[in-house]
Amino acid sequence: MRLTALLSMAAKAAFPRDYRYGTSRPWTFAAKRRNPPGLHRRKVFVDDIPNENWSVFKGDTVEILAGKDKGKQGKVIQVFRHRNWVILEGLNAHYRFIGKTNDYRGTYIASEAPLLLTQISLIDPTDRKPTEVGWRFTEEGERVRVSTRTGRIIPKPPVQRSDGVVREQWKDGPKDTPTEDALLKTYTPSLKTLEEEVMDAMGIKEDRRNHTSYWY
Amino acid sequence: MAATSAGRIAGLCRQFQRCVSISPSFKLQQTEYCSSRCVSLSNRLSSFSPAVNSAQYRLFHTSQSRKGLEEFFDPPENWGETTVKSGAPWTAKQLRAKSNEDLHKLWYVLLKEKNMLLTTEQESKRQRLQMPGPERLKKVERSMTRLDSAVQEREGALRLLLTGQEKGRPGEWRRNVFGHVYWYRFREHPIPWHLNSRYRRKRFFTPEFVEPHMRLRLEKRIRSKVRKAQLEKQKEEKQAELFPKASAQTA
Repeated sequence: MRLTALLSMAAKAAFPRDYRYGTSRPWTFAAKRRNPPGLHRRKVFVDDIPNENWSVFKGDTVEILAGKDKGKQGKVIQVFRHRNWVILEGLNAHYRFIGKTNDYRGTYIASEAPLLLTQISLIDPTDRKPTEVGWRFTEEGERVRVSTRTGRIIPKPPVQRSDGVVREQWKDGPKDTPTEDALLKTYTPSLKTLEEEVMDAMGIKEDRRNHTSYWY
Repeated sequence: MAATSAGRIAGLCRQFQRCVSISPSFKLQQTEYCSSRCVSLSNRLSSFSPAVNSAQYRLFHTSQSRKGLEEFFDPPENWGETTVKSGAPWTAKQLRAKSNEDLHKLWYVLLKEKNMLLTTEQESKRQRLQMPGPERLKKVERSMTRLDSAVQEREGALRLLLTGQEKGRPGEWRRNVFGHVYWYRFREHPIPWHLNSRYRRKRFFTPEFVEPHMRLRLEKRIRSKVRKAQLEKQKEEKQAELFPKASAQTA
């Protein structure tokens, strides 16, 4: 086997077919404690929702329909597609101590439990009540979420980049190309290959001809 | 911990720079040219013509100087930082709009940046520290692959137009001793095939005693395909049973 393939195999973590994915990332200590190797738990069946029909995104405001915090509205902070889970900020939370040591009782924090999609409902912006949502096309051709009750478009929440970059406040560094230069078009179609064009520009003349060779 | 690790990288870089003495003229060159991933190309490249002074090409093409080793390292401002700000990688759309000379120069700019980042990565591994700004390496690699694909697209279009050949490298479908039909890519040789003893020893046909094994392989393949299809069907039935679509809710 090629060395690169072997190394990439070692780098990529392999999980069993019946691995039960939880709220922690699989390579963390908590996940490893919960799912040690050799563990076989009963399979969790997840409703297969295709990508086009998925309506809840990070940053949406949704209302809880069932559970401890029924009737409350909260913002989605995490979405787990593999189990159709959604985590809301501060809602459906249980409280626990973390960082416990022998003398110190630890920090008391609220840890939110995930909610299934069926226990959640998107909110209509007009009357701020839970509503069914479908996907429709606007006149411009854009695919948007529309509340089936009132017909109001539910806008997608603004996406916050994981590296914290905000487009409007970006300033180029010393090694970054300015936007106008990057978008400037300098290409003129021609019948010359890149090598020929560069040789012409650099004034390189290649008079040598290849010796006869056989391709088989 | 962060302070000491930052101090160590900074210390190493300082040690290194002491060995490398930079002349003031060279420093001017360095700030103006190269050593940058996405150097501002417009001033020099958009007006690309032989009339532009050849001094520029000379400065660009020859290796900067024997003491150019500091280009293998981050600029001094980044020493000891945990995160380094870097812009977005080049997209294929942007690269397709650039001329061939621009792409040629950008390739080497990216290559030098990649070398710099790989050196930093290796040095951080050696010192058991976190590399500052590891996403820069991914961005540069992606930019380079996109550049390569843009150039290949152009070459392919030109080749198709001028010669009618779809592939740049000749080849043909051949059968090997195990009964597999595969795309055999030709290699360049100085002598014809009938004089090449090693090539003549290769067998591009299947002996008849291999045919039973081919049949068994085929049966195995068919069985596994049928098994996969049955598994998919069972999964769909189970899904329909547990999550009936008639009352399915979307969010």
